[in-house]
Order: sequence, then C-alpha cells, then structure tokens
Amino acid sequence: MSGHSNVLEDGSLLSRLDRGLFKLETILALVGGLAAFSLMLLAVVSVSGRNLFNQPLPGYIDWIEQAMPLIAFVGVSYTQRLGGHIRMDILVGRLRGRTLWITEFTTTFLMLILMILLVWGTWAHFQRAFDFGSPNWSRDSSLDIGLPLWPMKLVVPIAFGVLCLRMALQLWGYGRAIVSGDTSPIAVPLIEDAATTAANEAATVSGFDEETK
Amino acid sequence: MDSIEIGLVVVGIMLFMVLIGMRVAFAAALAGMLGLIWIFWAKKGYDPTEFIWALTVAVKTAGQVPHSKIASQALSLIPTFILIGYLAYYAGLTKALFEAAKRWVGWMPGGLAVSTVFATAGFAAVSGASVATSAVFARIAIPEMLKEGYDKRFAAGVVAAAGTLASLIPPSAILVIYAIIVEQDVGALLLAGFIPGAFSAVIYAALVIGLAMTIKGFGPPVGGFTWKQRFASLPGAFPIFFVVAIIIFFIYNPFGGDAWGTPTEGGALGAFVVFLMALYRGMRWPQLKGALLETAKLTVMIFSIIWGVLIFVRFLGFADLPGVFSDWITGLDQSPMLTLIFILLAYAVLGMFMDAIGMLLLTLPVVYPAVIALNGGEMVTAADSAFGVSGAGCAIWFGIIVVKMAELALITPPIGLNCFVVAGVRPDISVQEVFRGASPFFVADALTIAGLIAFPSIVLYLPNLLLGV
Repeated sequence: MSGHSNVLEDGSLLSRLDRGLFKLETILALVGGLAAFSLMLLAVVSVSGRNLFNQPLPGYIDWIEQAMPLIAFVGVSYTQRLGGHIRMDILVGRLRGRTLWITEFTTTFLMLILMILLVWGTWAHFQRAFDFGSPNWSRDSSLDIGLPLWPMKLVVPIAFGVLCLRMALQLWGYGRAIVSGDTSPIAVPLIEDAATTAANEAATVSGFDEETK
Repeated sequence: MDSIEIGLVVVGIMLFMVLIGMRVAFAAALAGMLGLIWIFWAKKGYDPTEFIWALTVAVKTAGQVPHSKIASQALSLIPTFILIGYLAYYAGLTKALFEAAKRWVGWMPGGLAVSTVFATAGFAAVSGASVATSAVFARIAIPEMLKEGYDKRFAAGVVAAAGTLASLIPPSAILVIYAIIVEQDVGALLLAGFIPGAFSAVIYAALVIGLAMTIKGFGPPVGGFTWKQRFASLPGAFPIFFVVAIIIFFIYNPFGGDAWGTPTEGGALGAFVVFLMALYRGMRWPQLKGALLETAKLTVMIFSIIWGVLIFVRFLGFADLPGVFSDWITGLDQSPMLTLIFILLAYAVLGMFMDAIGMLLLTLPVVYPAVIALNGGEMVTAADSAFGVSGAGCAIWFGIIVVKMAELALITPPIGLNCFVVAGVRPDISVQEVFRGASPFFVADALTIAGLIAFPSIVLYLPNLLLGV
C-alpha cells in the first residue's frame, strides 16, 4: 500500500498543464486544510462561549456540517495528483514498462468513467436543493439556523470535475508512456517500494526538532 | 441471476480491481455503481430500452451518498485528530517526552528502552500516525540506546513496535472510522481503546524489563535523576496528557454531571493547545501551511474511501449480501469462537498486503454483521451470547481487537511499514534486522490479543463503568 508518489516534470505541454492544474489543486487543498483548522477554532469559540459566557454559539453543528464537504472533497484532485489515494500495489509494483502503463491506463480510465457518472449524480443531488424561485435560492436548509445547503452540495460536483481533469491528464501521461515505452514518464505518479515510501514519510516529519533545539 | 449472484460477481469484480492496483476508494465506488445499475436493470428484465432508466436511477442513488454521508458532525473528529497529529510535530513534544520518560522510568532494567516504549506510545497516541512516529523516534531514541550499548536490532525493534500503539489510545482516527461504519457510539469506542492501549504499552515495557533481566549486558539503567529534575521535565510533555485527558473528559465527566461537551469539541480543544504550543515553539506560516496541506491530503484520502465504500454499501443493501454472509457464518458446524479466530487470522493475512483503513472499510460492511450474528445478535445479553459479551458490547470489543490486529501488520513482513521506516532513518540497520528486533513485540501482541479475546472485560470495563454500555 502506498500513499506518496513522485511526479516527474519537463518542458512539454503536458507537463505545463500538469503543473498549472497542480497550482489550482494546491489552492483547493489549502482551502480544505483551512476548513479543518476553522473547525478547531469554531469548537474553541463554542466551548468557551458556552462555559465562560453562558452564550452558546448558535448553529454550531450546522457550521460543522457546512465545513465537512469542504474538508472532505476539495482536495480530492490534489491527493490524486500526488498518488495519495491508497491502493494495493503489490501486483502493479512488479510490472515494468508497457505492461505497467497499460494497467495504469486501464484502471485510471475506469476511474474517470466513474467520476464522470458521479459528477452527474452529485450535480443532480445539488439541483434538487437549488431553486432560483426560493428564498436563498434554497429548497432545503440546515436544521438549527437554516443555512442553505446547496452551496456545499455544489462543492462536490465541482471538486469531482477537477478530479476528472486530473485523471484525463494522467491518461494522457500513461498513453504517452505506452507509445514511447518510457520507463519514467512525466505527469503521472510513479510507484515506489516500501523503503522509498518509508523514507518519504520520514522526511515529512524530520528537521523541525533539530532546527528549534 | 438473482440479486445474491449479482452481489457475488460484483464483489469479485471489486476485488479484481483492487488487486490490479485501482485506488481502493474508486474501486469500491465503481463496483457499487456497477452493481446498482445491474440490479436496477435486472428488475426490468434487461430490457434494452430501460437501460438508460437503470443508469439514471443508479447514478442518482450513488450521487446522494458523498454529500449526505460526509456532512456529519461525528465525522468531523477525523480531520481534527489528523490536524492534532501534524501540529504535534511542531510542538517540540517528541524530545520533551523522551526526556521526561527517561527521568521517570530510566532507572528500571533496560531503562532507555522502557522510556522509548512510553515516549513513543504517548506521542503516537496524539499524532495518530504509527509510521511517522517511528520515524521521529528512530532519530531521537536509537542513538541514545546505542550509546548505552543496546543491541542495535533490539533498539530499532522497540521503536518500530512502540509506534503501533497509536491506534488504540485516544485520539484514534481509526476507531472513529470503525464506529461510523458500524454505526456505534464514537465516544464508547474511544473510551474502550484506552485500557487495551495502555495495557499494550505496559506489556511492552514488561517484556523489555524481562529481557533486560535475563540477557547479560542488555543495556544499563540510567538513573541519578532527582525528583526536582523529574517534575521539571513534565511541562514540556504536558500537551500529550492534556489531549488524551480532554478527549476523555468530553466523553465522560469524572466530577459527575454532564460530559463537558462532545468528543468533537474535546478533540478541537486538544488541537488548539497543541497549536498554541507549536506557535510558541516557532511554527510559522510555512510550517502551518505544510501541516494544513498534509492534513487535507490525509483527510481526503480517508473520506474518499468512506464515501466510496458507502456507495458500495448502498448496493450491498440491495443485494442483501451481508445478510446471506451472516446466515452462512452462523450456520457453520463449528464453535463460534473458532470462526471468530479464523476471521481474525484472515485479517492478519490481509493486513500484510493492505493498509489498515482500506482493509477495515472494505471488509467491515460484510464481516461486522456476521460477527454480531455469531455472538447471538444485536440484542443478546452477555449471559446468552457466544463470546460472553452483550450485543452492544460485542460491537466495541470486536472493533478494538480488529484495530489491534491491523496494527500488528505494521511490524510483520513483507510490508511492515514501521520497520521499513526505522531502517530508512538508520542506514546502518537493515530491514531484516528491524523485523528481527520487533519479533518479541509481535509475540507479546499476539498474547495481548488472546488476552483481550479471553477477557472482554478488559476492553469493556471503561465503557461499562462510565457510559453503561
């Protein structure tokens, strides 16, 4: 099972598109991270308000439920770019060259079909909540303070749409690798063995303790 | 084909997709989508003109799942716990903990190794990340142990093994995930993990002390600390105790009366203290941004599997596969305990090839109802049950055992990541040597699991006492 992967870059159109999309994905992922961070601040305000000032935060749970889709979905493409969605690579890890790229192309292609269907499905879910004629354009709202639900329902198909773009780029990358037979193609996450994964894991948490001491 | 047969074929397709390396979240969701289309179309007798109808219904059914299942308060514990983990690296807790542990328990036989067990377990609990914890302590603890003359295999093994204690002591993201998938009380699961987690750490320490007393030249105790020095070491390690304590207090109020709030709030307060500590220790925007991106990535990874598997579960419900599997398991002509042991052994094997979260999420929707049925059903009392636990108790007890089982895989070949990461940090120690060094702890864990199976009250004591489960 692997989480990390590295992605090679060069000056080609594909690589430039890859990096351009990655910039967008990084911003989206940061929005997700900040939403997680604001969840923490929200709880501090809620608890201290309730216990110290006897003033509970109105709609605390409503706000949490609003933040969750941001946290859970907007970074989905960022994670795919970095090969962060876990999988079992004990078999594909043994494949080499074209066999490997054909396998990767096939699984990514199936994933793209799924995601296109899910953009449709989650869009339909959004549409049921959205109505220009209603107050706040909203047919349904949260239980406590009546926040409209459609904006966060809209986040899902948008995030999945970006993921579709990412998968299309990866298909392009795998396709190029199948044609050229390249061993280290650009713009796709490369598989690492357990030792490399472990080394990366170690690197993300190293350094800081030494610097501050 | 009837719906059961469709169910079996779709499960087979999913396993095949996982095996050829499709990302687990998408393999589960795709199988679920495919199964829904198939089942709806089969209802219309595979009439070609009805295919578009079946597709539309399936897509809309699946399309509801991501938003409606994820926008929940209980799930918000997961990003909070993950955030605590990443912030903890910047809070200067690791060295402070090791130093405190050394001063308090260093005088015991094998003192530095005992200190390593407690410091690593404490940090792992808060960071929630077994592998990363092992990486950090490989850097801090192994050099000190080697200086004192410890065997390098053993020094590496202690660090790799102690990192696995992450998953039971609160805050534990994996227990939250389990609770949500099997629809049990998150607070009860988190409380239940505390004693088995602490118990495992004590067993590890006892093992080290036992080895130190029997093997000559194992490693000297490090003594000579005054009580003043001991107490002086505590403030640096304080956030660890605070985080664990606050989460427990927000589930159960030790002073009587209502709990202080929800586990979600407890986790968030814990995160806030660790955040302040990290700011104080010099964390600035670049580090915070890094921590937020890592939090986003890991959270999304986990949530993707959750919605993916829930789409699959939606299909399983239509196919009634869990019900059929339960009937088959309970109809087996052997003792329920033997069946349970086989199920756990299957997890041990699966854990060798698959990440714990992916493994649990993929299997629990089918395995969990079967285990509950094996025990005698959801409403069974402890006296009438097969395993000596009530229906609600069984849900908690099985969760703790299965999570412990999954963590075991981190120190077993072929892909025991904790061992790889320790070997990666210490180029002078090979992976094989780390696996060898961790093997006594593997034996200890196997005995611990046997103990938890034989005496469910170890797991259920706290939830029973405090929440009346």
